[in-house]
Amino acid sequence: MNRNSIFTWVLMILSSLVLLFILAPLAGMFIHTGGKEFLETVKDKEVHASVWLTLWVSFAATLFFAAGAIPLAWLLARKNFPLKNMVQGIIDLPVVLPHTAAGIALLGFISRDGFLGKTASLVGLDLVNHPAGIALAMAFVSVPFLINAARDGFASVPERLEKAALNLGASHSKVFFTISLPLAWRSITTGFVMMFARGMSEFGAVVIIAYHPMIAPVLIYERFSSYGLNYARPASVFFILVALLFFIALRLISIKRKEKHITSDAETDRY
Amino acid sequence: MLKLTGINRKLGDFALEDINLEIPEGQYYVLLGRSGAGKTQLLEMIAGLEHPDNGSIILDNEDITRKKIQDRKIGIVFQDYAVFPHMTVFGNIAYPLKVRKIRKSTIAEKVEKAASAMNIKHLLERNTEKLSGGEKQRVALARTLITSPRLLLLDEPLSSLDASLKDDMKRLLRSLNKAGQTIIHVTHDYSDAVSLAKRVGVIHNGRIIQEGSVDEVFKNPSNRFVARYAGIRNFFSVKIRNDNGIFTGVTKHNVCIKFECENPKPEGLLIIKSDSIYISREMPEKSELNLIKGKITEIIPSRFGRELVIDAGDLFYVNIITSEFETLNLREQQEVWMCFSSKDVVSLHGNL
Repeated sequence: MNRNSIFTWVLMILSSLVLLFILAPLAGMFIHTGGKEFLETVKDKEVHASVWLTLWVSFAATLFFAAGAIPLAWLLARKNFPLKNMVQGIIDLPVVLPHTAAGIALLGFISRDGFLGKTASLVGLDLVNHPAGIALAMAFVSVPFLINAARDGFASVPERLEKAALNLGASHSKVFFTISLPLAWRSITTGFVMMFARGMSEFGAVVIIAYHPMIAPVLIYERFSSYGLNYARPASVFFILVALLFFIALRLISIKRKEKHITSDAETDRY
Repeated sequence: MLKLTGINRKLGDFALEDINLEIPEGQYYVLLGRSGAGKTQLLEMIAGLEHPDNGSIILDNEDITRKKIQDRKIGIVFQDYAVFPHMTVFGNIAYPLKVRKIRKSTIAEKVEKAASAMNIKHLLERNTEKLSGGEKQRVALARTLITSPRLLLLDEPLSSLDASLKDDMKRLLRSLNKAGQTIIHVTHDYSDAVSLAKRVGVIHNGRIIQEGSVDEVFKNPSNRFVARYAGIRNFFSVKIRNDNGIFTGVTKHNVCIKFECENPKPEGLLIIKSDSIYISREMPEKSELNLIKGKITEIIPSRFGRELVIDAGDLFYVNIITSEFETLNLREQQEVWMCFSSKDVVSLHGNL
């Protein structure tokens, strides 16, 4: 065995330890969950409602915030403006904040005394303990994932392609929608999936804003603190499986969409 | 057609300075310069992708200096072609028509016509990522020409093509120009300029340093930089002596070169084309010639024969055809005579 292969073996062993660290607790949880308890949880309407709420609220938050996050990502990738570095720092701030602290900050903003809370109450909406409030808490901590991925995607589009499109007569908005956006699409989709996944796994910020209605992470915590580990485990397994299914489905859709976009271009143009 | 007046543009440490240019309709104008000379920046400015700090760009008697890119009717083909990778060849060529909201049936018709003209009709359904460099270039050209631009700008269109594709592309560009298309072509390659240009401008450090017909520029280069482009390698900084009406340039290694000139300055730069120097093993008897003895230090094979490097105090570069080289039986370290007429020595003025 030469020195190179010993080095490779060392790297593989270290890598395996890290992978094991991630997989072992999950595998343990699956192994220790009995089939009977799991089936009962699958039939539990409270669990259903909680998982469904988590999924749709996180998806809606991602969709809603994408409308502002994608243009912001383009600006960061393409334009130079005063305090650009500071803006970039502000975007990354939610990632480094303790999420309960983020929840407290957000609560001040969306409670009836806060600006957004007051505005919402004018149309009879109380954001605290409401899915809209949960969506805001999820988006607060997860939107940097979308902005950063989309910014990297736009930055990787050669500027020359945008210049060529302008020279060929396209307006700036046409260039954005026909050149920049399709070419950055893969990164944007990755950011979208990351934001969605990060949003639905959020606990700290959401629990401050809304204990009820209960999203899945809050429900799992509630079952754990009230009834213990054995009662919380099946709900955790169910949530993880559903989240994984959703995550894989989104990935597949985004890949197929990109392939379709490339291969069918001629047909859609011509007919 | 196109008139640039007093164009200046600062781009970091680099600046385009006082660019004045007039290009009539139907011209094939080649802008020659090294990379970083400002060629691409100037093209982008004409196309409207950049704006000058001052000066004006007039196209067909209309001031387009601040006009929107989309309304200029100037087409540009970039060095890397900028073919859209997420579209097919059809999608690329149809793009300018689609953004102009032209009817789909008309688009299909026009795209097929443009593709036929560029000999890429068989590629219309293909993904552009799988095309060769030459094919991509034809796609980019077809895409630009479909807009019927008043002026076609080409940024190094031949730089990444192999020899046979280069000839095809040159033929295509010549025929486009013959059909009336005004073209500005930027390149770093002297041979492209010679084979395509009706008029040539040499750009160096952001300034156009010489302009004229190909013959005017390369037979009478105004400075060392332009002379280098013409393939001239024999440059000599000299002090000039007037011996009863015969001018002699004396190099710093005391090599004397007779030349003809009307108003020489006390110091100057003399250039001699490598093809103008004849080699002899014995001293020739013609006294009107420059006769300089030197030693062959290097013999380098070249396209038509050999290039000799001869040390006569200063280094001289001499081209010699194979048959003559063999007849003279030349070897390295051999002493030879170099002969050339005083008429073949060019004295340069201006920026040395």
